Amino acid sequence: MVDYLYDGTFEGFLTCVYYHYYGEKASGIYRKEDYQASLLSGCRSIVTEEKKASRVYEAIEKKISGEDLRRIYRVFLSSDEEKENKLLRYIRLGFQEGSGISLLHSNPIVFEVQRCEYKVNIETHRIKGLARFTALRNSSPRENGNEILYCSIEPDHDILEIIANHFADRLKNDPFIIHDKTRNKAVFAQGGSWYISGFTDKDLPLFGEGEREYRDLWKKYFDTIAIRERINPSCQKRFMPVRYWKNLTEFR
Amino acid sequence: MESTLEKLKILADGAKYDVSCSSSGVGRRNTGKIGSSAAAGICHSWSADGRCISLLKILFTNKCVYDCEYCVNRRTADVARASFEPKELARLTIEFYRRNYIEGLFLSSAVEVSPDYTAERIMSCIRLLRNEYGFGGYIHAKIIPGVSPEILHQIGLLADRLSVNIELPTKESLNLLAPQKKPKNIFAPMKQITQTLTERKQLKGAGTMFKNQDIYSAGNLSYLEPEGENISTGDGSLVDLTGRPLAAPEKGRSRKERFAPAGQTTQMIIGASPESDRQIVKTSENLYRTFKMKRVYFSAYIPVSNSPLLPTPFTAPPLAREHRLYQADWLLRFYGFTADEILDEKTPFLDLELDPKISWALRNIDKFPMEINKVSLDELLRIPGVGTTSALRIVRQRRLSAIQFDDLKKIGVVVKRARYFITCCGKYCGGPDIAPDYIKNEMLAAECIRNRLLPIDDNVQLSMFNPVANQWGTVANRPDPIRNLHGQRTVSHG
Repeated sequence: MVDYLYDGTFEGFLTCVYYHYYGEKASGIYRKEDYQASLLSGCRSIVTEEKKASRVYEAIEKKISGEDLRRIYRVFLSSDEEKENKLLRYIRLGFQEGSGISLLHSNPIVFEVQRCEYKVNIETHRIKGLARFTALRNSSPRENGNEILYCSIEPDHDILEIIANHFADRLKNDPFIIHDKTRNKAVFAQGGSWYISGFTDKDLPLFGEGEREYRDLWKKYFDTIAIRERINPSCQKRFMPVRYWKNLTEFR
Repeated sequence: MESTLEKLKILADGAKYDVSCSSSGVGRRNTGKIGSSAAAGICHSWSADGRCISLLKILFTNKCVYDCEYCVNRRTADVARASFEPKELARLTIEFYRRNYIEGLFLSSAVEVSPDYTAERIMSCIRLLRNEYGFGGYIHAKIIPGVSPEILHQIGLLADRLSVNIELPTKESLNLLAPQKKPKNIFAPMKQITQTLTERKQLKGAGTMFKNQDIYSAGNLSYLEPEGENISTGDGSLVDLTGRPLAAPEKGRSRKERFAPAGQTTQMIIGASPESDRQIVKTSENLYRTFKMKRVYFSAYIPVSNSPLLPTPFTAPPLAREHRLYQADWLLRFYGFTADEILDEKTPFLDLELDPKISWALRNIDKFPMEINKVSLDELLRIPGVGTTSALRIVRQRRLSAIQFDDLKKIGVVVKRARYFITCCGKYCGGPDIAPDYIKNEMLAAECIRNRLLPIDDNVQLSMFNPVANQWGTVANRPDPIRNLHGQRTVSHG
């Protein structure tokens, strides 16, 4: 039994799963930078190998199901500290049970993974609504006059790539940046296609024309639409947790 | 000329009592220049009253020729008036949409000049959005009663969802409070929308209500006579369900030109008129069955005028009642209940302390306890604490292995409610007795704890003086005047 350490990529994680089956059994899988050595078991650093990763990838798709592969990936994006171990247990059970694994709602292994997945899904859906874009002046001479939409979010889970498609389709005529402040990376999108890269908001251009006015209009609308006789802050906070408020135009 | 900011304030203020803000019912990728729509709908914010903001909910104008008693924008009301220009509103919608503030537009209006005039202005704004801006987001258009069929049809081709407000649950209340709005003017556009959707084979009913039924034949669409003779108010319902059968659905329409793909909805005000909950639930059931509405919304009446016909301005809006009515509405749409099951002649009002599903279960306690591992999906849905998601999970999982009591929580069942009504593998975990009174007391006690109140029991009511009396053992049996004062139930549940 040995702890496997990987580089934080999904492929790296799958390589660890490969070694669990074809090498020494894993007592746990951890990210290299988060690992705290323990006396009970040794650890081994794993170099990501694409071939081995893709074998596991295909095996999951074939022997469990495509939906479970997607589920495993979504759980991998969560910020749960034990996600690798939860997933390893899930994959092991999945190879025994096959595609029926997702029906075992009360099995503790399945329950843990489905709860993680639920959290990721719910945040994905929330951020689709709670992302707020700001129109910025585009200073590059090639795109004279066009504005860039900029949005900063601080999600609990690493959901940037899940929401990218949604916004890339919706705003295909507007170039935009969605900046994940906690992870210092961003989606850059234009004309329906997008990529993810590292990003810091040091030198953001100035507000575009009319941005201030539209912010004021939105705030006015937000305040006006509430019915005074029905004010219910706890209900509001239940749907829209306060940790998201700092990036919302209506509260700034 | 007011600035856009002032107009927005006035016209959003006038629109805020409109309930619907959902952006669901139609999934569409971006086929124009900007905008798509998600089938499940997306909420973008929640205002201070806890209602979601999904659409830019706004009036086109609040200059009204009508004088409905319950309305903030009635002709005689002393409020600031404003109107948008179609261009101005379209631009505002697009700029809000780009910044992801909103999911689309919900355009309603007061009746300026005439229904047709107003509807044409609404149409020109929506057309501008769809055609000039290439807007693919969600549009919900309110249909003004009395609008001509041609304009309605055009609006339907542009918008995703249409709604005609029924305003009040019965014809009598409508005649009393909104004498200028005639039932037949309300039902004619509803009928036209349903008919068009039927012809195009596009009809989508409410939730799972039409499960195992052909949605196109369930409930005959009543053809309202021009004089409105067919409108019976027999059982509090506005619509006579025995009409002529539907026209045969037409075949072979191009999919491009879709008419109101997210269907139609309606809303009614509750608490402004004396109807019972039973009448309200019956009316909404009829609306679902007759017009295949996607939703019937309720809006708790908030006093806006001093009219002698209405509750006084100091009446609190009946929020708890509205909540219970929505729960009943969910039972109608997703749980296979009928209005008569939820409320019968003997109990015309919903219990404000207990939700309607528990009330039903307590009235029909002979059907319980149900064995989780045996009963059908339809029966599972009738167990308080079991929802549609958990019922489906139970059905899926029990194919593989029997479900134990401890599994229920992980499946998503609300065990504290369900335990009184179920057995797991033959074992009952509810408590000593399956008597309705006992269960009701347990439920209410749980509710008190949830609301951070101690369960109130007159016999053990704490008092500053009691412990001392007991300690000395001399005055224990003497009636204590202070205890009697404080021992009354002063805190109400819920």
